[in-house]
This record gives sequence, structure tokens and C-alpha cells, in this order.
Amino acid sequence: MAEPIKVGAAGDIEDEEALIVPADTAGWDDDIAVFFSDGKYYALNDTCSHEDASLGDGWIEGDEVECPIHSAKFSLCTGAALCLPASHPVRTHKVEIRNDEIWLYVGVPADGQEG
Amino acid sequence: MHAQPHDKGVSVTDINDLVDLDKGSLKGHMFTDEDIYQQELDKVWRRAWCFLAHDSMIPKKGDFLQNFIGEDPVLIVRQKDGSVKAFLNQCRHRGMRICRVDQGAAKAFTCSFHGWSYGLDGSLIQVPREGDAYPDDFDKANYPARPIPRLTNYKGFWFGTWDEEAPEFEEYLGSAKYYLDGYIDRWDGGMEPIAFHKWTLPNNWKFMAEQPTSDMQHSEITHVSAGQVLNKGSDAADRTLRGDNPTGRQFFSDYGHGGAWYGEKGSEVPNTGQAMQKWEAQPEIAEQIAKRLGDNREIRGHLNIWPTFMVLGNYTIRVTHPRGPGHQEIWAWTFVPKDADDATKDSIRRDVMRTFTPGGMFEGDDALNWEEMQEVLHGRIARDSGFTYQMTGAPIQWDEGPYPGGSTKHVFSDNAAINMYSNYVDMMNAENWDELKQLREKHRMGKSN
Repeated sequence: MAEPIKVGAAGDIEDEEALIVPADTAGWDDDIAVFFSDGKYYALNDTCSHEDASLGDGWIEGDEVECPIHSAKFSLCTGAALCLPASHPVRTHKVEIRNDEIWLYVGVPADGQEG
Repeated sequence: MHAQPHDKGVSVTDINDLVDLDKGSLKGHMFTDEDIYQQELDKVWRRAWCFLAHDSMIPKKGDFLQNFIGEDPVLIVRQKDGSVKAFLNQCRHRGMRICRVDQGAAKAFTCSFHGWSYGLDGSLIQVPREGDAYPDDFDKANYPARPIPRLTNYKGFWFGTWDEEAPEFEEYLGSAKYYLDGYIDRWDGGMEPIAFHKWTLPNNWKFMAEQPTSDMQHSEITHVSAGQVLNKGSDAADRTLRGDNPTGRQFFSDYGHGGAWYGEKGSEVPNTGQAMQKWEAQPEIAEQIAKRLGDNREIRGHLNIWPTFMVLGNYTIRVTHPRGPGHQEIWAWTFVPKDADDATKDSIRRDVMRTFTPGGMFEGDDALNWEEMQEVLHGRIARDSGFTYQMTGAPIQWDEGPYPGGSTKHVFSDNAAINMYSNYVDMMNAENWDELKQLREKHRMGKSN
């Protein structure tokens, strides 16, 4: 299991906003968006599975994010595509809050998700 | 100067054949002619500074408003860094409206036809199938939404022009700056709109533009019944205080702006609603106004910044959009001082609602005149006969007392209308802003240069 990386402090991300961890920093093949919504943290591959768009720039509400470009929705918990025009899921990553710090487990699926 | 034919064999209506300002005569054709109208879209609307939005309409990043410059739909968008950008609301792909709603908040604007997507700044950020169905040399950077190249924020009000050569907005305002400030720059807390109405009227846009520019005199006839009723109302200005032979003044500015108000310095009469008068009479507010505007602060009545940004003393603030030679669309906001108490704001709202909204009494009075005028112009004889602008008895004064620029020591005068049409004709004749500036200097009224 990969070592987690610290991406910020609790409070750095406002409610219904996201922080983008660049691919280089994450050591991953895509930017990773870390979302904060309704008191919970989530992380997904930032790029929409439909076309080239940043989900971190999207509309975040509850446990869903809507792509800002063509309005495909994804589950923040599972990465599942919830409506067209997307039909493929996006990858989740595990996020943990330790000592008021946000730690991202790059490549580790969110709890309960298959890799 | 005569306009050139569009195409071989097709003659073009020449505005100079329709206007004789020395005789104070305008021919009806200029309010009905399709060819004149098309020239206006090109020579007036793409050249003038036009009202786009107020800061309070788009407070947060991503907030946007759709408006028009002439017939061209534009989007005005608050950027992530707090600045504002504006661009033509037309997709560069197949010309669909990029954004189909009037107002809202966006992260991006995606055309609902094929999905070309534009950032808040109008840059093309996403083209569906770019990777697999477009050639490698297709470059999104070549297809941004067409930006409005010149934007300015004047005391919270955003104006824009398509013309890169237009003078700075304050130069365009000229002497009108002083008078406009008398309405919009009075209070430390600024202004906000609290009501908004849109409607269309079956008349040429210039009929309405002329009125807040120059025509106070119609009100004592057209609006006499409504005025009688409203004088008993708790919200309205008491119009009986103006007397049978009212004092007042009218101003006009080089680029067609104008306005007028009742009363004069030292013997002011109320031009605003009663709640506004009461609120402004509070010592701390009065002090704010005096500090911001000096001792001459009651110059409110009606005003138009050419072409169609209109402000009235009871705080209907509006812009109108031409819709062909025979129709116009009115977008009218009710503005209030942001710091005013709720009861004052609501009183201003009620007063405007009763007077200058689609169901307002003054608005209905005016609409009847303009609709009838347009109807009559269906007649061929009627179109050939002239309208008369001869109410020029009171002399024009320049930089008189506290009043900058040209003004007339009478609240009733055609001078500002003649000036407005003089600017209009110069815009229609001039090929560019440099020429226009020269023409305006040459045609400055009542002043020997």
C-alpha cells in the first residue's frame, strides 16, 4: 500500500469546494480532486470520464459532483457515473483526516470500493 | 455626405434627407425605415457605450447576466479574480446562443446544440470529439466567444462598447457625468436593484430615448390625470409643489445625453418620492450627499445617457433594446440606496411600480402616445410630413453657475432633443470616432467656438 501524502489542513477546502492535487505531486496519471461536502472528504480522479473537464471545478452537492462542462454526475463515494453523457466511472482515492490534516492515499480506492 | 449603396442597384435611405435640424424638423421615415434601422445597428449601436450590468447583479465569481447591445445578445460574467468580462452570446460553432438563461451562476458555458464549452472569460475550453474527430491542427484558441473589447465600471455600473476607438467612458459622458452623479453617486453604501420588469412596446426606440433626454413638457399634459391621482399617494413626490410656471433646467452633452429637473439652486422642489426625501433628510445621510456631491445636489428629474441608459428621479433605471424599426424592449430596474431601511426601499418600489412599470400609470400614458405615433406612420403622407422641434425659446447657457456644459434655463425645452438628434445624425454620417468627434465639435449648440 502506497504511503499517503499530506495535501492540506482541515479547513483549507470550503464546503462544496475541491482542491486539485496535480498529477506530478500525486505521482498519478491524472490530477486528483479532493472534495469537501457536508462535513465529509472525498477524492476522485479529476478528469471527467466523458470529455476533458475538471470535476474539481464542478458543482458539488451532497455526495455528488456534476461536471461543469456537460453536466454528467458522479458519486463522490463510489465514482460511479450517475447520468449521461458519462457512462464510465471515475477512480476514487481514499482520504483520511489525521490531526486536522488531510491525507490522500493515491491509488487506494475509497473505503468499500474495489481497486 | 451620402451613404453608399449596399449593392449595385439598391439605393440606401440617407438620414440627411430625413432630418433638418436647423428647421427643427424630422421626417417620420427615420422611425419606420428598415434601412435606417440597419444603419443604426452598425453606426450607433456598435459604436456607443451601452449599459451592461450593475455590480450588485453579479456579485460572486461565476455570476452572469445576459443583456443586449442593440440586437446583439451579450453575456456579462464575474470572473474568478473579481473582474468582469463580457462577450457575444453566440457559439462560434453553429451560432447557437451559448447561454440560454437570463441570469445565474456558472462554472462554464456549454452550448446546448453540440456542446462546445466556454470558460467564464469566453475562451473556448472544450470541444466534444476534438481528440478523435477533428484534425490535429484544430486549435480551440482560435474560437473564443467574441469579446466586448472595451468595458468600464462607472460607480458600480458596467458599460461596454464594441468600438476599440471609442473615447474613454468619462469622455463619452462629458458634462453628463455631473448630472448622472447626482443620481447614482449620492450615498456611501451605493445602490442595489430590488425589482425588475421587462416588456416590449410597438414603437421605434428613439421615441422613448428622446423623452428622458429632453421632454419634460409632455408630463403636464400626458400625465396630468395620473399626476393628480398620485399626488394624494403617500409614496410619490408632490408634483403640485412645482407650481403653474415651474422653474427648472435642462442640460445636454456632446454625445447626445440630456436631462432636466424641476426647481433650481436655493429653491429646490422634490423630484423624488417622499420616502427618499425623508431618508435623505437625516443628518448623517445629508452629510454624505453633501460630501460626495457638493452643495448642488437636487438635479434629479429625468436623464438619458445616449443611446438608451435612462434614469428617473423616482429611481426607475433602465435600458432599452431596439427590436426592428417598429418595436423596442424595455428592461427596467428599481434601484434603492443600499443602506436605506426596508420601509424606505419598499416605498420606492411601490412608487416605481405605480408609475414606471408595465402596469404603471405614467408608463401606460407614454406607451399610448408612442404606439399611436408609430401607427400613424403607417400612412405614406404621415411618414413624409415632419415632426417639429421648435421649443427653443429659452437661451442655451454654457458652464452657467454650478451647471457644467450646455444647459437651458427652462425645464421645458427641445434643445436637448435637437442635440440628441444632432449627435445621432453625426453618428450615422461619421465613418469612425475621429470623424464623429470632429462633427460633434462643429455642431456644438449655442456656443461660438
